[in-house]
Amino acid sequence: MNRTTRARVAVRLTTRASVLLTTASLIGLVAFGWPLLVHARAGANLAHAADAPWIFVALLPLLLAIVLGEIAEGSLDAKAVALLGILAACGAALRVPSPGVAGFEPMFFLLICSGRVLGRGFGFVLGALTLFASSLITGGVGPWLPFQMLGAAWIGFGAGCLPRALGRREIAILAGYAVVASLLYGALLNLWFWPFAAGTTTSFSYLPGGGALENLHRFVFFDLTTSLGFDLPRAATNAVLIVVLGRPVLGALRRASRRAVFDPVVILEDVTASPSSDS
Amino acid sequence: MIRFDGVTFTYTGDVAPTLRDVDLEIPEGELCVVVGTTGSGKSTFLRAMNGLVPHATGGRLGGDVRVAGRSTRVHAPRDLADLIGLVGQDPSASFVTDAVEDELAYTMENLGVAPAAMRRRVEDTLDLLGLHELRGRPLRSLSGGQQQRVAIGAVLTAAPRALVLDEPTSALDPAAAEEVLASLSRLVHDVGLTVVIAEHRLERVLPFADRVILVPGDGAPLRIGSPEAVMVDSPVAPPLVELARVADWHPVPLSVRDARRVAAPLRARLSSAPKAPSERRAASTRGAAVATLERASFAYDEVLALSDVDLGFHAGEIVALMGRNGSGKSTLLALLAGARRPSTGSVQVRGEAPATLSPRRLVKSVGLVPQDAQLLLYRETVAEECETSDKESGLDAGTTRGVLDQLLSGVPAERHPRDLSEGQRLALALAVVLAHDPPLLLLDEPTRGLDYPSKARLEGILADLTTRGTSVVIATHDVELVARVADRAVLLADGEVVADGAAREVICHSPVFAPQVAKVLAPDPWLTVDEVRRALAGTDELVEQP
Repeated sequence: MNRTTRARVAVRLTTRASVLLTTASLIGLVAFGWPLLVHARAGANLAHAADAPWIFVALLPLLLAIVLGEIAEGSLDAKAVALLGILAACGAALRVPSPGVAGFEPMFFLLICSGRVLGRGFGFVLGALTLFASSLITGGVGPWLPFQMLGAAWIGFGAGCLPRALGRREIAILAGYAVVASLLYGALLNLWFWPFAAGTTTSFSYLPGGGALENLHRFVFFDLTTSLGFDLPRAATNAVLIVVLGRPVLGALRRASRRAVFDPVVILEDVTASPSSDS
Repeated sequence: MIRFDGVTFTYTGDVAPTLRDVDLEIPEGELCVVVGTTGSGKSTFLRAMNGLVPHATGGRLGGDVRVAGRSTRVHAPRDLADLIGLVGQDPSASFVTDAVEDELAYTMENLGVAPAAMRRRVEDTLDLLGLHELRGRPLRSLSGGQQQRVAIGAVLTAAPRALVLDEPTSALDPAAAEEVLASLSRLVHDVGLTVVIAEHRLERVLPFADRVILVPGDGAPLRIGSPEAVMVDSPVAPPLVELARVADWHPVPLSVRDARRVAAPLRARLSSAPKAPSERRAASTRGAAVATLERASFAYDEVLALSDVDLGFHAGEIVALMGRNGSGKSTLLALLAGARRPSTGSVQVRGEAPATLSPRRLVKSVGLVPQDAQLLLYRETVAEECETSDKESGLDAGTTRGVLDQLLSGVPAERHPRDLSEGQRLALALAVVLAHDPPLLLLDEPTRGLDYPSKARLEGILADLTTRGTSVVIATHDVELVARVADRAVLLADGEVVADGAAREVICHSPVFAPQVAKVLAPDPWLTVDEVRRALAGTDELVEQP
């Protein structure tokens, strides 16, 4: 039956692209998590500890550019580019009303559905592109942008890795994933700007040179007190959107990808097998 | 120019090839018409010319297609863009930009044409297609015919030597279709472009076709030849050709002019035939009035769309509403369907004003199938569509599906409504409407995009409905449809009824609305090939339509 067969991969990840993607993601993780990972002795490295985020700010865009460039290298067909463009534009448009309204960020809903239907490679690129496009629209370009892009790219990638399921089970899995992904995304981005945002004096501030556990404790406290009120509604709205609109949106995307015939298999029979002339 | 050498093509997952051993050549500067029913492989054949088949669709290709010597085996569609351009059915689906000039320049941007040359080619194209007055307009504000001309222009700016068009007029109303075909004949005659066109309005393109390729479907061999030769026994043929078969004319005339020159003996035979053409159903067998309009007027803001219309529609009668675009046909349908209230006067369907009925009662008294049948369909599959229709109006489960199977069997239940052919989609929309068994059925331009077999099926369905006492009102430009099924024709102009009478009297002597048969056999009032065939056979039995 047509509907149970998985759609062809819209964006194929070559071995090289996969290796690059993994490496970039690992470096990205460090970029996010350095406050918890750096075991500098208090005082000695404080000055350089403050440099760390800026190194990552410089490094991350380059890494993202390399990964996206490698994925696009020869393997992106025009139809995938068109679909990426449309979905990224839709996602960016969905983000426009978001900042004002508490926790309402329906962009993840579209990203998760797209990643699910069109595969992890597509999800990764779409996540990064959506955030990039929306930051241009909303004027939200800044040092946080590469981090947002990487975070959204992971969400799209993850959605493409979810296990096979159909019908209600699929919707349930996607809604659950939306909750987890939204919360993780919020926590990760908090982690990135936590050292700047909370100063160094309060009890939930980053403590340079403090142990990982000590800082984790402080961070969780920071996360819970400052942004959970934002992250929880966001997780809830996206999960609700998936439950309510998931089926038609997944259906539309599946139909689009079926009709687009991504990555077509072309077999050219030997031309000498049939009589032909060279005129 | 375009050469097929032993081409066999099979889609991935199919067993039987769609194209089998196609060997043919389309010479430079010819207008070549591709004929075949929906689903026969016409589109596959056309797309094989510029390499979209197999490069974009996937599949197994044997043999070789060459365009000006360049093989599609090694050249991707983009490498052939300077040689061959493809235009599809729905112009708005191919637009990338928002304005006419931008759209024309877009192709050249992609090909890296120098700005100065680009500027000149845009100007040339605007003039060639008569688009210069529209140059700055947003594409959305254009009519269907204008949009399709822009789509053709966007392909022409790449300066291809061949143009391939896949049913370019099937999404257009007849006036717009005429406009597009006129532009095409100009391109062939003045510019010398090679044009390959799949088209089902054969009566419009055959007169200037140099060659016809018949795609019979089911992998049967393609036939190529002069229009006269192929049309002799083509399963898809315009009324003129069918008349020629009945009258045994050789060669087959392709235009009304050619036919009139050889028609004198036939006219003589017919005037001595025992049976003169008569009304299909005598006025006395007509049932009671189902719907009436009394001095009904309607105005959109300041513009009067209908003024003082008095009309009655009776059970078991098919009425054709005719007139140019903007003459008030759609407004009249909207009044009957209860979508609008008359500004003055009254509209009644079975004694009630349709605009005041609750939706649930409305669907039981009036059914409207809009021009775009898709508007009635909003579920994901045909099966869901049928279920929803049953559920929403409290019908027994399976009613809608049953109606659909009567109309057209074998519509796949799991298919998305948008993926159906035009004929299948119309049948589904009709089924959704007819499941309620409304006494008044309104159809807005129902034959748009239908091939001859689908049209014949629709005519059968309509005839069947009238025997069950349904009153049918059709707003249409399709004179052949009116000639074949309508009992009465109402001619509207500027919101007023200018003629109302038996279809034969209204359309037969009009140079605009007369069908081909009437034009050939004027002054005798023959409307259809079937009538002529019956008269010649000297019998009044109904001859089965193909």
